Order: sequence, then structure tokens, then C-alpha cells
Amino acid sequence: MQEQPAGGPNRTRWTPSGEEQKHTWGWVLQAVTGMLVLLLVTLHMIANHFVVQRGLRDFAAVVAYLSNPLVVVLEVLFLVVVTWHGLLGLRAVLFDFGFSRRVESWITRVLWVVGVAIVFYGLWLTWVIASYH
Amino acid sequence: MTDVMDPGFDTHSTEAPGRPFRFRVFRYKQGDRAPHFEEFSLHVAEDTTVLDALTAIRNRLDPTLVLRHSCFHASCGTCGLRVNDREAMACVTKVVDLKSPVIKVEPIANQALVADLVTDMVDFYARFNAIGRAFVQAVAGPPDAATPEGVGHYSRFENCIECGLCLSACPIVASDPRYLGPAALAAAWRAVEEPRGLDPNAILQLTDDEQGSWRCHAAFECSEACPANVDPAGAIMLLRQRQVGEQLRSMLGGRRR
Amino acid sequence: MSERLVEQSPAGREGVDSAAVQRRTDGASPRRRGVASWGDPRGRRLGGWAFVLHRVTGLGILIYLFLHLAVLSLLARGPSAWDDFVSIALSPFFLFFDVVLIFGLLAHGLNGIRVTLVGFGLVVDRQKAMFVALMVLGAIILIVAALRIFEVG
Repeated sequence: MQEQPAGGPNRTRWTPSGEEQKHTWGWVLQAVTGMLVLLLVTLHMIANHFVVQRGLRDFAAVVAYLSNPLVVVLEVLFLVVVTWHGLLGLRAVLFDFGFSRRVESWITRVLWVVGVAIVFYGLWLTWVIASYH
Repeated sequence: MTDVMDPGFDTHSTEAPGRPFRFRVFRYKQGDRAPHFEEFSLHVAEDTTVLDALTAIRNRLDPTLVLRHSCFHASCGTCGLRVNDREAMACVTKVVDLKSPVIKVEPIANQALVADLVTDMVDFYARFNAIGRAFVQAVAGPPDAATPEGVGHYSRFENCIECGLCLSACPIVASDPRYLGPAALAAAWRAVEEPRGLDPNAILQLTDDEQGSWRCHAAFECSEACPANVDPAGAIMLLRQRQVGEQLRSMLGGRRR
Repeated sequence: MSERLVEQSPAGREGVDSAAVQRRTDGASPRRRGVASWGDPRGRRLGGWAFVLHRVTGLGILIYLFLHLAVLSLLARGPSAWDDFVSIALSPFFLFFDVVLIFGLLAHGLNGIRVTLVGFGLVVDRQKAMFVALMVLGAIILIVAALRIFEVG
């Protein structure tokens, strides 16, 4: 499709990025995950700080909390959604720097890896705590 | 030797006893290692505009100051500048309204510099071309221009005087050379609203892009800077609304794209 | 000037004759204000401040997320490791940073509502008023939260 001109100071040609229209959905997802985060972080705050003594769960309280499967589902969902939103947001900020398309696709790949790693870490941690009895 | 007066106005009448203002004017000539600021002290009257003052500086104090202007009433888009860090049309910005004894004058940002306060607008115009809308177009009114609704609709885009203040103000144009920018996106929206022979779908698809309508972060600095009520940020949001609608429609098996 | 610097093709995608532009401007390239301009407060208007606030709080929350996930690994080390941490976390120093975090969450989340609505073309004409209203709401919630955290209220 449209080729990007070679990077250089006097770049007066404007051409679109050439990718198909995925960008609408990228942005829509950012908005949707954002709204979900707003909801889930409120629930998370209430559950972890407002319904407990001293405002913070000690170890026993954490184990009790995570023994409820609904709680596990919500917290994992929260982790996925907030990681997605945060890393996509970071990507958006980095892309505003005007790096080359090669650098930009590397950024995307690295952030995917980081995101998946975070979710797996969260799942592992939840499993470790849940198996404490 | 008689004084040669500038055509159109009398520079002497812009000076009156009263407060002097310090003008810090951005200076740069091709070949300079770096730009610098030069100071000029000038008395002004209540109605002296920044353009009046700069012209007086050029005529009376420093004839090497490079300056560009044309219509004197903010409709040609030529004299856009950054005055005390804000985008403004120099010809309608009164010095006393700036409420500052020091007036810093710089060229608009994010364009190539020719000299002093004059930028090369080729990059700016190229963006309009990229969306398929020639920046010089035959003036042809829509059929309903006679009706009140038609006139309002018609004048919405024609408001754009292509001054470049919006691109100067946009934080993303400042950092990302590939972002299409508010002026062209506003023009794209107008072309979608009123195609006049252009293919609105092609424009929607072209701007439905990472470097098109989705790069905007709703700072609205462009709409604040615009001297002509184009509201480019509003136009970008409407463009997005239409793009999401089109995507949904095509997903649900509606209109073929 | 007889040079045709700009292609006027119907598709309009040819762009600009860069060589001609080069000759005219003696190699001058666009003077972009750059990423540093995001941090420049001069001349910035309300929407521009919203942009900066959203960016700064977003990155701040992301950094917090990493810290938080790292700290949570203490849970894997058993009750004593975690409960020791809990006593530190209840110190006034930590609680102060909790208030900072809540400020960040409120600023980012509430402005995010504006960005979402406006970004779909809704409420665009009143977006400034909406921003102010949301920030006022955020300030109220922040004060209540701070009082609650320090158990004064």
C-alpha cells in the first residue's frame, strides 16, 4: 500500500500508516477496558480496604478472600483488564514519540510479552495463595 | 527625502506616549547556527496590534526582520505567530490585551523555518493533499446555500483559513511527524459531511488510521488556537464517531465498504 | 514561481515534491517542539493540562501496578513475610502515598470518562465544563478518601 518515506529531516510527504483499520478497535478497547478498570478498581478497593479491619488484609484475610471463586474470577479479570489498558496506554504514549515503524512493531511485541507474563504471574500467585490452608 | 509610508496604515499613528513594551522577537536566518531573540522597545497605542508593532519595528528599527502578512483582518491566515507562548493571529491581537510588558514573538511551531517569523507552509498544505482535498478548490456553493441551514453548513469548513495555528498548538504534531494533524482531519470531516465530488468512504478509510483520527488525545489545544471557529478537535471526534459506526455496520453485514 | 511544488492529483496521495521544497528552504526541517513540549506549561490551556495530567497519572499508575505486583509476591513467602509488610504499609508515610495513588486513579479515571465520551463524538461542545465538573467530583472523593485513610473522618 502506501510506503513510508525514508526517515529524514525534511519529511514533507504524509502517508497513512498503511495498516488496515484495526485502529478503531484498538481505541474502542482502550475505552472499554478503561471503563471496566474504573468499575473493577472500585470493587477491588472496597473489598480490600473498606470491608476489612485496619483497612488492609493480613495473610489469613487474604487466603479467606481468595477462597471465594467469584473473587478469584473478578481479581483475575481485573488483572487482565488493567494490564491490557495500562500497556496499551504505554504503547500509545510511546507511539506519540514518532519512532520508526520498525521500532514501533518491536515496542508492540515487547509489550505483548510483558502483558502475557504479568497475567501468568498473577495466575501463579493466586494459585499459590489459594493452595495455602 | 520624504518618509515612505507603508501602504494601508500609518506606522506613526501606532506610537503614542505611554507605556513602552519590550518585544522579544525570534530571529533566525538561513546559515545561522542557532536562532536567538532580539529586543525592541516600542510605545504602543490602545489599538496597536502585534502586527502593527512588528511592522513598525521592521520599518523603523530593523529592516532585516522577515515578516509575513496580508489582509489585516484574520481571514487570509498568513500572519499566524506564537505570541507569549500562545498561538495567535498577529493582525487582530492587540498588544495591550496581552496584559504583559514583555511580548515574546515566535514563528508558529512544527513547521520548517524560512527566516525570522516566517515558516514554510508546504508541510502543512501537503497534509490536505494527503486526504485528497486540494487546498485550492473551486468555490462552488452547495445547492442549498440560499437557505439558513445551508449557509451555516456551507460556511463551517470555509471557516478554515489554513493558518497553521492548530498544528502549532497540537502536542502530538509537536512530537510525531507522522500524525496527520487537526487541520487536515477537520478538512476530512468536512469532506465526509459534504463530499462535493470526493469519495467520502475513501476519506473515512484513509483517516481511520493510527496516524489519522486515532492519534488525537483530546487536548483540544487546536480548537482553542483556531481563530476561525473550525473546532478541529470536534471534527476529529465526529470523524471517529462515523468511523466506529461504519466499522460496526460493515461488521454486522451492512453497507459494503 | 513556476515550479509546481504540490501535486494536485485526484487521489492527492503523491505528496509534495521534496526536492523542490529542499531547494526553497535550504534544507530547513520542521521545527517540531518535540516531546519536551508536553512538559512546557507556558501557553497551555485547560484541555492541554488534561492531556498532560492523563499522561502523567497513567504512567504513574502503571509504575504503581508493577510495584504492587512485585510486593504481592511476598504473599508467596508465607504469613510472616506478608504480615510484616502489612505493618509497614499502615505507617503514615505509606498512607500518604496511598492518597497520592488515589489522586492519580481519580484524575485518570474521571478524565478518562471525558476522553471516552468525547472520543466517540459525545458531549464535545461541553467538554470543558465536563472536565471541570469531573475534577471537582474527584477532589471531593479524594478528600473523603484521605480522611478515611487517616481515620480522621
